[in-house]
Amino acid sequence: MKGFWRVLETTFAIAAIVVAWDLYTRYCDIPDFLLPSPVSVWNALVEAAKGQLFDHLLYTITILVSGYVVGVVLGIASGLVLAKSARLERWLSGPILFLQTAPKIALAPLFVIWFGLGITSKLILIVSLVFFPVLIATLVGIRSVDKRLHDLAQVLHLSLWQRFRRIEFPSALPEIFIGLRVGAVQAVVGAILAEWMAGKQGLGYLMTFATATYKTPLLFGAVIVTALLGIAVYQIIDFVERRLLSWREQP
Amino acid sequence: MQDALPPKLVCKGLNVSVRQELSRLWPRPLGANRRMITIRGVHKDFSIDGAKVTALSPTDLDVRRGEFVSIIGPSGCGKSTLLRILAGLETASGGSIDVDDGDRARQRVGFVFQEPVLLPWLSALENVRFPLDTARVARTEADSRALDLLKLVGLTGFEAALPRALSGGMRQRVSIARALSYDPSLLLMDEPFGALDLITRDRLNDELLSIWSQTKKTILFVTHSVEEAAYLSDRVVVMSPRPGRIKTVYDVNLPRPRGERTKLDPAFHQLMADLRRDLQ
Repeated sequence: MKGFWRVLETTFAIAAIVVAWDLYTRYCDIPDFLLPSPVSVWNALVEAAKGQLFDHLLYTITILVSGYVVGVVLGIASGLVLAKSARLERWLSGPILFLQTAPKIALAPLFVIWFGLGITSKLILIVSLVFFPVLIATLVGIRSVDKRLHDLAQVLHLSLWQRFRRIEFPSALPEIFIGLRVGAVQAVVGAILAEWMAGKQGLGYLMTFATATYKTPLLFGAVIVTALLGIAVYQIIDFVERRLLSWREQP
Repeated sequence: MQDALPPKLVCKGLNVSVRQELSRLWPRPLGANRRMITIRGVHKDFSIDGAKVTALSPTDLDVRRGEFVSIIGPSGCGKSTLLRILAGLETASGGSIDVDDGDRARQRVGFVFQEPVLLPWLSALENVRFPLDTARVARTEADSRALDLLKLVGLTGFEAALPRALSGGMRQRVSIARALSYDPSLLLMDEPFGALDLITRDRLNDELLSIWSQTKKTILFVTHSVEEAAYLSDRVVVMSPRPGRIKTVYDVNLPRPRGERTKLDPAFHQLMADLRRDLQ
């Protein structure tokens, strides 16, 4: 019942914004290429849906998901290795901090030059954005595993793999999920940016196309679809997290 | 060596015997085959900023098979260190430990920590089964063992409960069941009931005694509580700090099974008084 009211409230808030937006464009006589009305955005979306909108969306989802998965796997694996090797971490913590703080988005055009106009440079951009937050979160998570659980593992003569698989990974999962959330937001930004810069496919490309041809309603439509995609990704992670971490004390 | 019995101090009309000067070898008129743990000259030193600190000075202790031995002493007397060395959680700086465990080589010891140290994402049953799962015991066998043990510790009906849904006492019961799951002949307990309220603690003491008599484990039990040590044990080892060492070993001849009548026994109170005095 509570959930129902929340949905109703959210719907109402969104509806209010849309109505205000509509009234503003209508009565202040704002030209379509500056701020299109909700109706024209909707029409542009319907028009695009008949065309290639879904192909673009599918393309974005494909590179988003593949880049995200690769980044997450690499991030968790590297985080584990670094957490296990104090020496490696001493050597690499400096370079990692540098690479993590370096604005990879600014380097994005270079990626295109280095790795070409194809899908490789796009994936590398996404992976580089996802990798670091997941790596750091994994490192922190495994570092903060309860010392007494290590004692338990020792008493039970667990192998290294069992320790990781049965104790450290599940213990670190709450922290890892923080990295997964940050990484997901970054991945969406990365995917759009990558398409923005090169190629003829994806929502990012659709935005550049709309801007270049002054189809502002289409640009708004693409932005809205991207935002919805981001929300969907976030919701999926939230769902998985709640399933996997249901054992936690509810805050 | 075995007939060199030290003088027996018999307190007036009481069946508690006290043996002094026992940081040396503890001679017992018993067959060597019944001796389970032989600790000789085990010590632990470490250095803080270059200064040598002795956590445990060279210690000798023998424990018989099936015996319930408590180790009591103030903080910093090395009692936990000794237990952790026995469990392989810490390495001794020297000395030898011989655990005669029959043919079961490389057997894991059972260890119950002060906190339950359960895996919060596993149910009570899965926590008890955890050592069996990691030792690749077949699921059906592991399940039936875990169910039996949960019954033994009085947690039937809570198999599916997650640790967060259990009370402190129940969690510690799960942890005891887990330590028993792989059937170790030696159970090491490091202040297992220290964090519990007195009522729960009393009840768990009784349950521990009943588990002990049913499973015939050898138990080494570290505690802060004089009453707990006197109530549970066959022998109480009193340790003193700076440097950590064994001060006195008391034989407890209170009749078993122990219960409410033990707590009314004057010998019990005499022993507690002796232990308290010794601890000061």
